[in-house]
Amino acid sequence: MFKLALSGFKHRWRDYLVLFSGLVMSSAIFYMFEALATNQTFLKQNSMISMISFVFQFGSVLLTIITLVYIGYANSFLLSMRKRDYGLFMLVGARKGKIGQLIWVETLFVGILATIVGIAFGAILTIGVSHLLVQALGLTLKQFSAWYTPAALVTLVLYVGLFLIAGLFNLVALTKTPALKLLHSNDQPNRPRLHPVRQSIEVIIGLASISIGYWSMAHLIDLKMAGIGIALVTIVLGTYLLFNAVFVWLVVLLKRFKWAQRGLNSFTLSQLSFRIRNYTKILSIVAMLFALALGAITTGLGFHQQVPMMAAGGSAYDLSLVNPTAAQKRTVASLNPTRQATYHYKTTSKVVYYNAAEFDQQPFYTANTSGTTHLSFKYAKNNAKQMKKSFYSYQLGDLQTRLNVRKAAVYLPAAAYQKLKQPEAQLLVFATKNFQKHFATFKQLTKAQNKRGANLQIAATGGRYYAYQEFNGMYSGLEFMGFFLGIAFLAMLASCLMFKILSGAAADRQRYRMLDKMGTTQRQLKQALRKEIAVLFVLPGIVGIIHVLFGLQMFKVIMITSPYTGIWLPFTIFAILYLGYYWLTISIYQRIVLQ
Amino acid sequence: MPTTPIMTVTDLHKTYGKAGSKQYEALKGIDFDVQPGEFVGIMGASGSGKTTLLNMLATLDQPTSGEVTIHQQPITHLKGNQLADFRANEIGFIFQDFNLLETMTAYENIALPLMLQNVASKKIKPAVEQVATQLGINEFLSNYPNELSGGQKQRVAAARALINEPAILFGDEPTGALDSKSARELLDMFTKINQEQAVSILLVTHDPFSASYCQRILFIKDGRIGQELHRDQLSRTDFYQQILDTLGTFEQ
Repeated sequence: MFKLALSGFKHRWRDYLVLFSGLVMSSAIFYMFEALATNQTFLKQNSMISMISFVFQFGSVLLTIITLVYIGYANSFLLSMRKRDYGLFMLVGARKGKIGQLIWVETLFVGILATIVGIAFGAILTIGVSHLLVQALGLTLKQFSAWYTPAALVTLVLYVGLFLIAGLFNLVALTKTPALKLLHSNDQPNRPRLHPVRQSIEVIIGLASISIGYWSMAHLIDLKMAGIGIALVTIVLGTYLLFNAVFVWLVVLLKRFKWAQRGLNSFTLSQLSFRIRNYTKILSIVAMLFALALGAITTGLGFHQQVPMMAAGGSAYDLSLVNPTAAQKRTVASLNPTRQATYHYKTTSKVVYYNAAEFDQQPFYTANTSGTTHLSFKYAKNNAKQMKKSFYSYQLGDLQTRLNVRKAAVYLPAAAYQKLKQPEAQLLVFATKNFQKHFATFKQLTKAQNKRGANLQIAATGGRYYAYQEFNGMYSGLEFMGFFLGIAFLAMLASCLMFKILSGAAADRQRYRMLDKMGTTQRQLKQALRKEIAVLFVLPGIVGIIHVLFGLQMFKVIMITSPYTGIWLPFTIFAILYLGYYWLTISIYQRIVLQ
Repeated sequence: MPTTPIMTVTDLHKTYGKAGSKQYEALKGIDFDVQPGEFVGIMGASGSGKTTLLNMLATLDQPTSGEVTIHQQPITHLKGNQLADFRANEIGFIFQDFNLLETMTAYENIALPLMLQNVASKKIKPAVEQVATQLGINEFLSNYPNELSGGQKQRVAAARALINEPAILFGDEPTGALDSKSARELLDMFTKINQEQAVSILLVTHDPFSASYCQRILFIKDGRIGQELHRDQLSRTDFYQQILDTLGTFEQ
C-alpha cells in the first residue's frame, strides 16, 4: 500500500516539486517575519515607539491569515493530484481506513518536511537579506540574529497545526466521496453568474469595511491596539468582497464587447472566469501582500531619507577642526567647501572668548528651524551681535572641542580680545555641497584630529557628519525592519502568484495544445498568455497601491517627516521589481505551457 | 472524369527513433489521392500506422520523407504562422476525445476559429448559427462542454471544424467515445454534409460500422496500404458485410 502511494509520488514529482517549493517558500518567509516579530529585545532596542510592536502584531496576524489561505490552497492542490490515485486504490479494493491513514500520513509528511526545510531556508535568507541591507544602507544593527529559536518554534507550531487540520480535512473529503467520483473529478467550470442584488450588497459592504479600515488606520493614536484589529479585519474582508463582486461582473461585462470577439480574447476571458473563485482569493491575498510589501519599503525608505534631512537641520556645517594642520587644511580644500570659516578663540575654565570682528567679517551660519520638527529650516547668517541674541548660536558651541562644548560663548571687541592672556586656538568650520559623499574623508579627518590629543578632540555633537551618525543609529532598526519586511512580503507575493499559476499550468497546457491544433499562431498564444497573467498582476497592484496610500497614515505617529515625502522613489523601485517579476512568471509559464 | 484531387499523398514514410539507435518504421511508403467531395475511410488494427498517417495529413506531425499536398499546396514543410494559417483555413479536425475547451461555451468553442482570424463580430454570429442549425445543436449553444452528452460534444466539435469551410475534414475515431445511437447520428450527419455541401471527409477508424458510411476504404497494415474497397452502388449494409469479410481475411 505505501509502495503504491510512493509510486504515485514518483510519477508526479513535478507537481510535488511545485507544491513543495511553494510550501518551503511560504514557511521560509513566515520564519523571516517571525525572526523580527518575536525578537522583543531587538524591537525594544530599536524603537522608542511602542507602536512598533503593535504594527508587528498586526503583521503577524495578517501573515497567519495569508498562510491559512495558502495552505488551504496547497492542500486542495495536493488533494486534486491524489484524488484519481486514491479512487484507483478504492477500485482495486483498498479499505477506507487504510486510505485515510495514507492521506493523513502523506499530508503531514509533505507539510512537516516542507516546514523544516523552509525554516532552514528562511534562516539562510535572513542572513543574506540582513547582510545585504546593512551593507547597502550603512545600517548599524544590535541584537539581531538570523537564527532565533522562538521564531522557528512559532513557525513550526503554526504550520504543523495547520497541516494536522488539512490532513483531517483531506481524510473526510476523500473517504466520504465514492470511488467513481474520485476517478472523474476534473475541474468543473464555474459558470460566471450575475446576482445583481448580492453583488451590489457585496460591493457596498466591501467599500464600507475598507473605509472603516482606512479610517481606523488614520486614527491609530486614539484607537491604539483596537485600531489595528479593526483595520485588519475590515480591510481583508473588504478586499475579498470587492474582488469577488467586481471580478465576476467585469468578466461578464467584457465578454459583451466586440473586443472580446477578436483573436483569443474570448479564450482569455473564459480562462479567467473559469477559475474565478480561485482567482478572487488569490487576488485579495496578492493585493494585501502588495500593500504590505510596498508599505514596508516606503516606510523603510522614508526613515532612510529622514536621517540626512534631520542631520542637515541640525547644523549649517559638516564638520569642525581645531588647530588644523597644513595637511588637514589641504584635505578640506580638496573637498571644495561651499562654506568655510576660521574663528580664533581663547578659553578659560567656563568661557570661550571669540573675536567679534571675525564674525562680522565671516558670519557664522546657523540652521534656524521652524515648527515642531527639525525638518523645515533656513540657514541664516549671524554677525557677532546676532550671535549674542540668536537662540541657535548653540550650534557654534556644538562644533567645539569636548572640553569647550558646554562653555559660554563671549564675543569681545578686537582690543579686549587681544588683551586676554590665554593661548589662542583656531576653530575651522566648513560645509560641502553634499556631505553624504565625503563620509570617508570626514572619518579620516576626525580620526586624525582625535589622535592629536584629548584637548583637541571635537565633541561628537555638532556638524552634520556627527548628527548623521547619531540619527542613523537611532533609525537603523526601523529602516531595517521596513526593508526586510518589504522584501519578505514581496517574496511571499511572488511565491503565492507563482504557486497559483504553476498549479494550473498542467490543465492549461492541454488547452493551449488544442488551440495550437486549431491553427492558432504562436504569437496569438503568447499574447493570450500575457494578457491573462497581466490581469492577475495589475488588479491587485492597483488595489495594493490604494491600500498603501491610506495605510501610510499609520506611520504619521512614528515618522517625523510626512510618510508621503518622496513616495515616488519606493513606488518606482517597487514597480520595477514587480514588472521584473511579471516577466519572470511569463517566461516560466510559457516554457511549461507552450513547449 | 478526371478531376484535380483535393489531397494527394506521395510515397509517405515515417521513421521513429534517431539514426544509429533502434529505429521503428511506422509508415513504409503510402500513396493515395482524395477527390473533392469524397468520403474516404482509413482502417487498420491498432499499431498499423493509421493515426501516424492522420497526424501527418493534418500537419500535426512531419513525415521523414514523401509529400502531402492539399489544394495543390505542399504542406509537409509548413512552419510557424504559415502552418497555423493553413490549419485554421484549410482543414477541420474532429478528435475521439472531442478536444473542446471546457472553459468556453459551445458557442464560443464554435466561434473560436473565426475569432482567431479576426472575422468581424457581425459575421460570426450568423455563421455560428447556420452551422449549429445544420448540426442540430442550436439549443445547446450557451452550455459548457461538461453540460453536454458525448454525442452533443462531438457535434459541437464538428461544428467548430466546419465553420471555416475547410477543404477537407479529418476525423480521428470520432465515434470512438460515443454510444451507438449518437455514433449513428454523427455518421448520418457526416454523410449529409458530404452529400449536400460536397465537403471531403477523411475518417480514420477501426470500427467497421463507421467505415461502412464511406465511399472508399483504404486498409493499412504494417505501414502500407494493403487493400482498397469501393462501395460503388452497394447498400450500406452490404458494404458493411463486405468490410467485415475483408477484415476477416486481411488481418490473417
